[in-house]
Amino acid sequence: MAEIILEAAGIRKEFGGLIALNNVDFGVRRGSITAVIGPNGAGKTTLINVMTGVTPPTAGAIALNGLTISGLKSHDIARLGIARTFQTAQVFGTMTVLENVMVGRHTKTGCGMIASALSLGRMRREEKAIGDKALYYLDMVGLGDLAQQPAASVPIGTQRLLEIGRALAAEPSVMLLDEPAAGLNTQETRALGQLIGTIRDRGITVIIVEHDMELVMDIADEILVLNFGSRLAWGTPEQIQANPQVIEVYLGRDE
Amino acid sequence: MAFRRHLPIMLFGCAAAVLPLALKDPYYLGILVFIGIFSIATMGLNLLMGYAGQISLGHAAFYALGAYATGILTAKYNVHFLPALAAAIIVTAGIAYVIGMACLRLKGHYLAVATLAAGEIVFICLNASVGFTGGPSGLAGIPSIEIGGFSFDSDFKFYYLVWAVFILLFILTANIINSRTGRALRCLHSSEVAAAAMGINVTTLKVQIFVLSAVYAALAGVLYGHSVTFISPQASDLMFSVKLLTMIVVGGMGHLWGGVLGAALLTLLPEALSAFHDYELIIYGSILLVIVMFLPGGLMRGFETLYVTILKKVRGRG
Ligand SMILES: Nc1ncnc2c1ncn2[C@@H]1O[C@H](COP(=O)(O)OP(=O)(O)OP(=O)(O)O)[C@@H](O)[C@H]1O
Ligand SMILES: [Mg+2]
Repeated sequence: MAEIILEAAGIRKEFGGLIALNNVDFGVRRGSITAVIGPNGAGKTTLINVMTGVTPPTAGAIALNGLTISGLKSHDIARLGIARTFQTAQVFGTMTVLENVMVGRHTKTGCGMIASALSLGRMRREEKAIGDKALYYLDMVGLGDLAQQPAASVPIGTQRLLEIGRALAAEPSVMLLDEPAAGLNTQETRALGQLIGTIRDRGITVIIVEHDMELVMDIADEILVLNFGSRLAWGTPEQIQANPQVIEVYLGRDE
Repeated sequence: MAFRRHLPIMLFGCAAAVLPLALKDPYYLGILVFIGIFSIATMGLNLLMGYAGQISLGHAAFYALGAYATGILTAKYNVHFLPALAAAIIVTAGIAYVIGMACLRLKGHYLAVATLAAGEIVFICLNASVGFTGGPSGLAGIPSIEIGGFSFDSDFKFYYLVWAVFILLFILTANIINSRTGRALRCLHSSEVAAAAMGINVTTLKVQIFVLSAVYAALAGVLYGHSVTFISPQASDLMFSVKLLTMIVVGGMGHLWGGVLGAALLTLLPEALSAFHDYELIIYGSILLVIVMFLPGGLMRGFETLYVTILKKVRGRG
């Protein structure tokens, strides 16, 4: 039905002798929530890293809106509208919570060193706009009250939310979330599920790597299952839950 | 908002303006000139190290390059000061760009060693090109700074020049830090991967800030050369790079005032301890060690914490 916004074809990633991703194909529909699941070490984070240019694929190609992005640098891919969060939260610890989200506006603004040094009117207007937008997105993730706190001082779960706020501020077309629910309690996870729904409703395509099956089955439109770097299955939550292979290697596993 | 941000530096400027009138001994005026010069150099290095988190053990080289560039042009070729200054800035920025491009893909210890080596190369070149720089015996007879017919030919006048330059740079630097570019810089300190994921071109930004901080060092070097009328390759040696670094660490990494405090302390200290000149390195090393172990944020942050604690206590009582 909807068109494909992000397409991966034959993605392979080797680290020395280790094959982290093996010939992975998938297509993500615009405006959908796609979950990537799989056991530890299956290659989920590597897939996100490959999609965001942190590390280039050994083979294969990734296209955003039909434009090949594999091989581009991280910052160029960000400019094209892909934002992400990290499995181990990577907030900018020496800055305030608000400033972290302000960084999210980087690709949408343009004042450089000289305009900043001279505090030109253009720069001051832009700063005001950056601050306003950042506060707006900070409120959206529910951290408005913490705006002036040093980012390093907030709990790890809050840092995860902060990363989502920072990514939202970039107003991306695709957002990649790497285990955003890790370390959250049931209530917080439910709130996170709602937030992700809100993000999707804003027209942002979401790809989420997550171990919390309840959350995944609840919000995902489509699920990609990775196992030892290979695509094991792809389908709706119902199809995945009914897939015997998936049940065997993953869902049915004793935790 | 912007005014409030700059209030402390304005007050500082007023204090700096009246201070020489109260000073009887010209000896102290000379020391204050040096503190101003070092404050300018540490401000640039602080941008690079304290804010962007990139170490450099080669900044003395840029300081020396600045001093030599205007020194040679004004003393040997009778070039006016302002064109000479422009040339000094361009030359230093160019060399810093090349060094930055070569070194800044490295991190941590590797970056430290690479910048150290780059600094040593400049040191060796300055020593070797005797015809141009005077070699190891240095370049003497650097004239006073002259701008539009006005000559800064006394310590008194020079004091005002140095601190005016400092205050101007301080305001520009504070503006940069609190801007889009400044935030991008501070990101590098925490996570380059996350910075890149937010669309920041990490390599370009690092080189940019390296060049900018080199220009600050060059400006400081220019002021130094014209104030003592003499420059030798020693100004570009490792010891001086370490001194600048120590000033920042002692005063406060990533704290603009910290750099000034560190520059002041480490300029005054050797004067006070001149009897122990032979132990300079040991003394610097010890200070560095003590601060890093017990006050990793530097003195300025230590004072801030103390201030906040006292304030809380007082409020708690009242
Ligand atoms: N930079 C790297 N260098 C070498 N090996 C790596 C690197 N990154 C990942 N790997 C390896 O690739 C494999 C896949 O790792 P990845 O982090 O993508 O797994 P994951 O599915 O995200 O696991 P988890 O659920 O634990 O986060 C692992 O075996 C890992 O050790
Ligand atoms: Mg992972």
